[in-house]
Amino acid sequence: MRHTFREKLMLAVALVFTAIYLFPLYWMFVTALKSGSAIFASPPALWPADPQWQIYAEVWQNRNMGRYIWNSLVIAFGAVAVISVLGTGCAYVLARYRNGWVDVGLFLILMLQVLPASLMITPIFVGFSQIGLLQYPRLAVILAIAAKSMPFFVVLVRTAFMSVPQELEEAGLVDGDSRVGAFFRIALPLARNGIVVSAILIFMQAFGEFVYSRSLIQRAELQPASIGLNSFMGPNTNEWNGIMAYATIYVTPILVAFVLLQRSIISGLTSGALK
Amino acid sequence: MKGILSSFVDGKGFDISLVALPLTFLLTLSGLPLIYNVLMSFQQVDLFSLGTFWRPFVGLKNYAELFAQPETWPIFANTAVFVVSSIAGQFLIGFGLALFFWTNFPGASWLRGLFLVSWVMPGLVVGAIWSWILSGDFGVLNFLLRESGLTDGNVFWRSDPNYSLWGVILANIWFGTSFNMILLSVGLSAIPTDLYEAAELDGANAWQRFRTITLPMMRSSIGAILALGLIFTLQQFDLFAAITNGGPNNSSNVAQYWAWELSFRQYDFAKGATVSVIMIVFVVLASIVYVRSTRHEVRR
Repeated sequence: MRHTFREKLMLAVALVFTAIYLFPLYWMFVTALKSGSAIFASPPALWPADPQWQIYAEVWQNRNMGRYIWNSLVIAFGAVAVISVLGTGCAYVLARYRNGWVDVGLFLILMLQVLPASLMITPIFVGFSQIGLLQYPRLAVILAIAAKSMPFFVVLVRTAFMSVPQELEEAGLVDGDSRVGAFFRIALPLARNGIVVSAILIFMQAFGEFVYSRSLIQRAELQPASIGLNSFMGPNTNEWNGIMAYATIYVTPILVAFVLLQRSIISGLTSGALK
Repeated sequence: MKGILSSFVDGKGFDISLVALPLTFLLTLSGLPLIYNVLMSFQQVDLFSLGTFWRPFVGLKNYAELFAQPETWPIFANTAVFVVSSIAGQFLIGFGLALFFWTNFPGASWLRGLFLVSWVMPGLVVGAIWSWILSGDFGVLNFLLRESGLTDGNVFWRSDPNYSLWGVILANIWFGTSFNMILLSVGLSAIPTDLYEAAELDGANAWQRFRTITLPMMRSSIGAILALGLIFTLQQFDLFAAITNGGPNNSSNVAQYWAWELSFRQYDFAKGATVSVIMIVFVVLASIVYVRSTRHEVRR
């Protein structure tokens, strides 16, 4: 009996820790629903007395969020497409061979993974403007994100391929399948879960990307939601309920996807970062 | 022709093309800019010479000018404070939480996973939320500090030069703690439990078990996580853009934000490239530590 009491106590403490840690998120949801004067009340109310549900529609309309979210989706889907088409094969080969060249390739990929976007944007901007790529700003951002995030994807997907037994492919070859066929019909389907989870992680990153979009996209009608949020937050803003409503609309799909896929996302993430 | 085709379908040609294409892509879009960055830091780059590759070389002039500027050393000092405090906060809180959630109780792993929402949110959203929490007159943090008696008046986290950097550090600690915690949990769960049983039989208390088993067994994980922390902290840009813009008067500016500011606010691309090159050297050093501490796995 004592044991279950201890477990219950631990669970209660854990819930308190989680509540404290997630308070900023709660504060976003609550502030969004408060009226323009209630957000400045002192002491601040922990619960909106008079929830303003219409604020979501207002902010969506006034801040042109449909356009911003659409651009974020275009950029995120584009980046995921480029990365998964190019990165999956690369991860597969790096998982199948063990030699000096593979070590060199892995080292190179790990090195390219760590270069901060805000430091790489200067040469990327100048280079892209010189070759005329800035005329297609969203494509430019997609390519920049793809180059930045592909190494991460390769590292994660490589571990997924490493868990596929090589014997299965060899059996396929013995049965008369070609090398290409063995890759597409055996290795790829078996590593599918790992690939999908990694692609979702990349999608979440690209959906919230800021530095490249801020620097490469000048025209407002092509900018993603992160820039829309940034321009909403002027230096002396007091529309915090509107800003939090914007943030809520922007982040809720990501949060829902994360909570639903939590287990597989975390196991994918941790296997790549430490193993 | 037939030979090439069959090598593609059946031999190594397929594998080589699978790996050559992405590597070419990466080298073109990451490798070339890296080299170009170093090149630009030795050139005179202005809006007139932006469109050409053949710009006048100026040797080390950009570097010399950079370190003659009065704001340079304070900004690098800010960077050091930001990096050290962020990593210390993220790691210590993350380690504490990981140790707590390591004890088995129902729902432990699900609740632990929930923490990671802070890490998958867009940086700008995290920045917006913390801007509001840190707000001087109406921020909820100031309310809590006043009520608990820790401060008398309001702390102007975003506009007081004494506190602006700490406001961003606070937000960054919140942002990164969960990631540290998850990775540390993975390391903890890999320690064989019979080690602890044996130590308990020998009469070791909790602190002795932590010091003689947990810490030594976690050494390579901790090394990798601290190096990753350094890498991620030096990538942090969005929170600065959302909370302080590096201000007031550069009091919360750090090198990675400043490099962008020099290029895209002051259009001084040569200086921006110069700061970038200096910082990239640090990042590469950190990543060598990271690769070294995970190498046994890479070479498996």
